[in-house]
Amino acid sequence: MDIDILHIAKLSRLKIDDSEIESFEKDMKNIIDMVEKMPEINEHLVLDADHPMKLREDKAVSGKFSRQELMSNAPQVKAGCVVVPKTVD
Amino acid sequence: MELFEYKAYELSNMLKEKKISSVELTESVFNRIDSVEDKIEAYVTLDRENALKTAAEVDRKIATGDTLSLIAGIPTAVKDNISTKGLRTTCSSKMLENYVPPFDAKAAEMLQASDAVLIGKTNMDEFAMGSSTETSYFKKTKNPFDTSRVPGGSSGGSAAAVSSGEAVLALGSDTGGSIRQPAALCGVVGLKPTYGRVSRYGLIAYASSLDQIGSFGRCVKDIAMLTDVISGHDSMDATSVNTEHPSLYENLTDNIKGLRIGVPDEYFGKGVDDDVKESVMKAVKELEKNGAVIKEISLPSTDYALSAYYIIASAEASSNLARFDGVKYGYRTESYGSLTEMYEKTRSEGFGDEVKRRIMLGTFVLSSGFYDAYYKKAKLLQQRIQNEFSNAYKDVDIIATPTSPFAAFKIGENIGDPLKMYSADICTVTVNIAGLPAVSVPCGYNAQGLPFGLQLIGDKFCEQKVLNTAYAYENAVGGFRSPSL
Repeated sequence: MDIDILHIAKLSRLKIDDSEIESFEKDMKNIIDMVEKMPEINEHLVLDADHPMKLREDKAVSGKFSRQELMSNAPQVKAGCVVVPKTVD
Repeated sequence: MELFEYKAYELSNMLKEKKISSVELTESVFNRIDSVEDKIEAYVTLDRENALKTAAEVDRKIATGDTLSLIAGIPTAVKDNISTKGLRTTCSSKMLENYVPPFDAKAAEMLQASDAVLIGKTNMDEFAMGSSTETSYFKKTKNPFDTSRVPGGSSGGSAAAVSSGEAVLALGSDTGGSIRQPAALCGVVGLKPTYGRVSRYGLIAYASSLDQIGSFGRCVKDIAMLTDVISGHDSMDATSVNTEHPSLYENLTDNIKGLRIGVPDEYFGKGVDDDVKESVMKAVKELEKNGAVIKEISLPSTDYALSAYYIIASAEASSNLARFDGVKYGYRTESYGSLTEMYEKTRSEGFGDEVKRRIMLGTFVLSSGFYDAYYKKAKLLQQRIQNEFSNAYKDVDIIATPTSPFAAFKIGENIGDPLKMYSADICTVTVNIAGLPAVSVPCGYNAQGLPFGLQLIGDKFCEQKVLNTAYAYENAVGGFRSPSL
């Protein structure tokens, strides 16, 4: 199978340098050739009844963390807000 | 014999009987770290100061006659993808090099609530993607049995730390074999519990439907002890199962008379070294001698499991790792113009090649036009593999296979060939795909003195049977053998 590595990288929000294209393309081709080896299956997916997910109530929970704690790992902060490049012109 | 060399259950008794103090024990482990860590490089971060503080606190509690948990005062290492409040948690990635979690993972919280002494965070393959711990951004951990070889992965740091005496116990995580395979390669015991037994809250996600936290120790008793501490329901993990977990440690027995053990032919085929097959079959014979009934069984879809695993795991990884965008936490590139450029540069500089490959594979199999041919098919295959295991457990209690198809390989030997590296997982991925519990116990050594692992797989929530079988084997042949360092 032919792989458009630059397209997949773009969808993945990754930038592949020109010097790396060939090796990534070769590795990805080999990996996809490997995972393609699957039998024909004419079955339907059945939800696993004995292991249902228990979703918690869709309710805001507050008070566990302070704003300062949560912001302390942000790469760039100004006036208590995370700084990002301009997103709207 | 130095204190760091004892098993956790022995140390637990010695602490309770006040023959030793936790401070002495913790110092013994740190002295060991001082003398061998340069060679092994098992840790990303050490926390000596807090470890000694906790140990002193445990000693105070023992002195005042408090009733403490069995692992109280035992030096324990934690894999660096399990969040620890106030202690850097990197996933061995440049992306999280300076990330300090504001909260504890549930498993880390339970460990600390049981007064375990957390000594540090162990090295791993970046974001748990690998089978050799070579994809770590920081360092390459060495196998204590031969420092020119890998410890396995992705929890290679935890396995090597327990094997070399740099920790008594350790936590790891297992998505496709990441506890069992390094346990096998480093000659220690490692348990991957049933999916849903241990909360994943605070475990930095690789493939959420397959990830599970589990234990490393130098004997089965130690594994039972540690697993008891981290088991239990947690409402913060939607896949955590709300069920009773009777103590594995209290109920451990080596009586396996009449236990039915299945041996699937498919795990002894091409790609598995002859000396591995021999040692595993010898172990199976030993179990038979101890009263188990051996049956040949078939799990026909095993050969396709690696495909299903890499598709499902990578698909989930591509989604889970989308959160690393340089905005709220983690690495951000130095210079950028637009928002998209910031994302792309941040991710390209912050992730290593193996992580990039899996993100791209996941993106590809989920992309328009390919979803049915890859992801949907892999999910159907997963269902078929689950059904094959369910049917097998109608006739047997435990399934015995090799853990790893080969003993520890040389550092650098497979790193340039992703497919060869992926083949290290052929015997372990099915267990994650089916959500089952499985242990790896040491079962002999090859001509170069490198350990092999026997994998014992149980039905869902049958950890007790799994550990009893491992315990019977361990008692029959003798347990952990220290590497000479």
